[in-house]
Formats: sequence, C-alpha cells, structure tokens
Amino acid sequence: MDLLRKPYSRRQFLQVTAGVSAGAIAAACQAGASPTPGPTAKPEGTFNWMTWSDHYIAEQLDEIKKTAKISTNITELADNADGFAKLKEVKGQLDVISGDALWVPKYFEEGLIDAWDINSLEVAKQLYSIAREFTIWTKPEGYLGYPFGWSPILITYNPKYVSPAPDSWQALLDPKYKGKIVTENQPVEVVAYMAKAAGIKDPYNMSEAELAQAKELLLRLKPNVLKLAQQNTDTVAALVSEEAWIATSNLGTEDRVKDGGGPEVISFIPKEGTIGWMDAEMIVKEGKNKALIRPFLELAEQAEWIAQNFIDYGRPLFNEKAYQILVDKGEKERADRYFYNKPETVQTMTLKGPGLSTQGAINVFNEVFGA
Amino acid sequence: MPPNSAGGAIVVPPATGLAVRAKVGLVRAWPFLPAGLMLALLFLVPMAVMVVFSLWRTTPDFDIVPDWTLDNYAYFFNTPTYVRTLLKTLIMAAAVTAAGIAAAFPFAYFLVRYVSPRWQRAVLLAVIVPFWTSYLLRAYAWQAILGPKGALNQLLTGIGVTDEPSRLFIYDNPGVWLVLVYVYFPFAALAIYASLEKFDFTQLNAAQDLGARPDQALLHILLPQVRPGLITACIFVFIPILGEFLTPALVGGTEGLLIANLIVNFFRGLQYTTMAAFCFIIAALVTVLLVIFRRYLQVEDVVART
Repeated sequence: MDLLRKPYSRRQFLQVTAGVSAGAIAAACQAGASPTPGPTAKPEGTFNWMTWSDHYIAEQLDEIKKTAKISTNITELADNADGFAKLKEVKGQLDVISGDALWVPKYFEEGLIDAWDINSLEVAKQLYSIAREFTIWTKPEGYLGYPFGWSPILITYNPKYVSPAPDSWQALLDPKYKGKIVTENQPVEVVAYMAKAAGIKDPYNMSEAELAQAKELLLRLKPNVLKLAQQNTDTVAALVSEEAWIATSNLGTEDRVKDGGGPEVISFIPKEGTIGWMDAEMIVKEGKNKALIRPFLELAEQAEWIAQNFIDYGRPLFNEKAYQILVDKGEKERADRYFYNKPETVQTMTLKGPGLSTQGAINVFNEVFGA
Repeated sequence: MPPNSAGGAIVVPPATGLAVRAKVGLVRAWPFLPAGLMLALLFLVPMAVMVVFSLWRTTPDFDIVPDWTLDNYAYFFNTPTYVRTLLKTLIMAAAVTAAGIAAAFPFAYFLVRYVSPRWQRAVLLAVIVPFWTSYLLRAYAWQAILGPKGALNQLLTGIGVTDEPSRLFIYDNPGVWLVLVYVYFPFAALAIYASLEKFDFTQLNAAQDLGARPDQALLHILLPQVRPGLITACIFVFIPILGEFLTPALVGGTEGLLIANLIVNFFRGLQYTTMAAFCFIIAALVTVLLVIFRRYLQVEDVVART
C-alpha cells in the first residue's frame, strides 16, 4: 500500500507506464503463439481445427484428450467463405478445416489442402460406400476430405396458417404470406432459392439474364420476409412464437420447434429441387500438426460418437454403422425422417459452393434489400 | 527559447539550438510512442491496405488481382441503392444523435445541478451498468421486448391501446432507431455530464441578475461553454452508427438495413475489393465529419466575447 501512496516523478511515471505497455504487448504476442508438440513415437499434442460447433461433442474431445493425449484448439467457423478467406491468410496455423460440398475442391485447387487416402483409416469402413466415392471430392492424388454430414435445405411451414399445403418454392412468393417468412441472412443462398423457383438449373453459375430472373422473384419475396435470420435458432424462435409461418431451414427444424414449445410444423423438399450441403474435414496442406490428424479422426469418427452427434444435433451423417446404433437406441423413426438411411439423396441436391455468379448474386441481393 | 520542465530557460549555442530542440521534442514525445505504434499498426497500415485493395479487382475465382481500377468506386456511385442506403444511414445517425442528446442533456443537467455528489455517482453507475452485458445480448433482449409477443405489445394489448400485437416497433426503421438511442444514450450522457460538471452555475444567476431571461442565460452562457461536451457526444454517437451492423440485422427486418449490412454481404461472398472501396467511402466520410466537428471543439470565451 505504501508503494501506491509514494509520489512519483514524471520520469518514473512514464518509465512505469512504458514498462507496463511493453509487458502487455509481449504478453499478447506470447498468448498468440501456438505450442508445437515435440516428435514422439505415438503422436501426442494439440492441433488447430476450424469447424462448426456441431461437428464435435465436448465429452468426445475430452475422452480423446484423456486416452490418446490429442487435444484440439477449436476456432468457430462462421461459413464457408469465412473459412476459405481465413485459411488463405493463416495457412499452416490451422491443421484441419471443415467445408461444404463444392468448397472442398475449391480449397484443393487453391493448394490449401491435401488429397489423401481416407481408406487408410480403419474407421472409414463405417462410412456409407457412396460417401467414399463422391466424384467432386475424388482427385488422382486421393480424396479431399473425411465425409461428415449433409442436409438439404427445406421449406418448413405452420399448417395452422399455411394452406393448401405448399410443394414449391413459389409458396415463398405468395402475397398472402406478407411479413410471415423467415429466411437465412445468406445472400448467395437466398438468391439461389429464387433461382430454383425460377427453374434455373445452376443457381451458383448464373448468366446475366438468369440473375435478372432471380432478382425479379427476390423483389416479390422481400415484402414477405419478416426478418433475415442470423442463425438457425432465430428461425426456430420465429416459428415457435408463430411470428413466422414459413421458413427456409435445415433438417430437424420440426423437432427443434417442438422442443422449443412451438406448434407442429411440416418440412418438405420443393418440387423444383433444392440446394443442399455435405461437409468434410479437410487436412490443411501446410498444417504443422498433421501427424495428429489421422489418429484423431480414427477416434473421433467412431460410430458411437457419430450416433451421439446425430442425437444432439439432428441431421444425417455419413457413418452407416452409427445408423445401426441409432436403430438399436430406438431412434430409427427420427433417423429415417431425416433421410439418414438415404445418403443417395445428396445426389439429387444442387450442392452449395463457390460459383461464377457469386458477385452477381450479392449485387442482386443488396440491390433488392438496400434502401 | 524552450522552457525546461521547471519553467526556466535552457541556454543553448545558436548552432546547436535546432538539434537540441529536436532532442527535447523527442524526449517529450516518447510517451506517445506506444499509442503511436498502435495507431500506425492497427489503423494506418490496415487503412492503407484497404485503400490499395479498393483499387484492385476480384476475379470470378475470388482471386484478388492488382489491376488498378476505380470500378469499385464507380459501382458504388452508379448504383442508386448504395447511395440511397448511405443517405438513409446518415439520416438514421442524425436522428439517433438528436434524440440521444435531447434525452441526455436534461438528464445530465438535472444530475449535476440538483443531485448530491453521492447520488450522482450512483446514477452514473446505473447509466454504465448496461455496458456490463454484451451488446449482442442487449440487442437480442430488445428483440424480445419489441416483438409481436414481447413485453411492449403485451402491455399495449393488456391496457387496450391495441387490439392485436403491433409490428410498428420491430423489423423496421423505428425499431432500429429506438434500440440505437438506447445503446448510445450512455455515451451522450457521460460526455455531456463531464462537460456540465465543470460549469460554474453561478454564472447563470449572474446573467439573470444582469437582466437575462433564463432561456437567454442558457443559450448564451451555458451552451457555449458546454459545446465541447455536446460535440463529443455527437462524435461518440453519430460516427459509430455509420458502421452499425448488429442492431439493424437483429431488429431491422428487411426494411431497416443500413449501409454496413450491405457491405458485410461482400465479405460473405469474398468480394474484398468491392468491400474495401465501400469501407473507404465510409472512412473518408467519417474523416470529413471529424474535421468538421473538430472546428467546434474549442470552448467559446463568453466573457471576452464582444
């Protein structure tokens, strides 16, 4: 306490504050540095993983850390564009990154990830065979990622207010649903939905004329949109409170609405076809902890964990053995309703990915939703 | 001759005077080094990178190529949506600033003049308390308050003002305005309070003794002296709103979006060069506004005024 009461000269004060500033900067630099595990016979250490929060369960990571001494340093992934941009910047500071569908080959073309033989993992035998053979992920050098989950984008509606039962993207454009629709705040995807409604074949690679068609429908959609949801929980909340009668969503929204105390809602795949995603874990080319990745995947992708992941997060995953566990646990009805046993559905979806009309789609979205 | 720290004079030979002055200047300036470095590294360098990016272009493959062009700027000014949205953002910022100051000034005046110092501290703490929770949580809380099934609508329907929940308060511009006024009120209140606290209120009595009406005393004695506080409040409220993204995204629906909400879409689509140009336009606008505000930051000497 005496120290605090002691009068300081200006010089002393400045020296102290400069010292504190330098210390703070040094501490910040130190905190940013990533420890590198030393070489051991059996790989142990920590690797850096950029992924979505539904790709893992806390107990799963704790268990792997305890048994195999492999820990994860996880960075939340906002979306594919975000991950792609960040990996291009930080490269080897990440070891694994999750990505969707056509984004995966994009990472490879940019030289950011490795192609490898996923069949070298024993756990890969638990996958549906279709998941080991997706053409878009197959390169002469190997496979581009370890397949994880997938989902089509659905339209979910509240039958109390929406009738007759819709079967098309056109339902979103019906003026009687003014201010009653919630859609994700994902400009490229929302424009792609309108492209689907217009019957355009490739919503991510549209011509100028096709973009104009999509824009026309987007202008009709705008008055119907209550809000652009920042995340899935916003969509679910709007359906639960019955603020929204219709929403675009992933699989499982019915259950989440029900769990939230909301009304019974129904989901369907529009007759014009839909957009969808399927994701994979990619090994970063310049990752400094590559030796940890395959042992980690071998443990993390085991059917027991994947079955638990389905129970927790509710969307189909590519692990076939986990389906059997779900059946044994009495989850068959839910798993089948979520197409878990029909991975071939993936081939009927327009897969999410970077396209040649991305800039055009954003311009269209901004021009419609701006003032 | 430069005075030394004790207030005396340093006598130097004329030939070395410049060097000594430079040395003295450097010695005095070094405390600014940490802040200067931070400003350079975290503001000036990123700003320079942004300007360079804004003059390049993005290929359909999302590669940024150094083809020098003004196309990104031309796109902004040639697309009425962006110009209109920027104007709307300026109007929103002005409306929020006006409302914030209109609410904060009487609040701070009452606090300084009529509340004991002990209670002043308590009230100021209450003003600051919202900062203890995250902005995101506060914005989400407003969603719950203003929504069709929110507290406000329940109150209005409960007391019979409306028959059914009103959409007036959320998913449109009024909702954005209301939440922004709430979010930025403490900034305005604290800036004005700090200024009023230094004001000698006996000057108002003196002015009235000399025949001024109360409104004249306020206008000609008080306001000129607290002008820096008012301008600071304007800066703290108006400028950040030009970059507001979260509140419009959460409570603005499709009608209440501001310019930052459109800019962030370019990021989502990896259109960094367009994004950089749009951001630079906002940054340039902010700089111009700061220069304008700075002109009014000097306290007016009401005693010496003729």
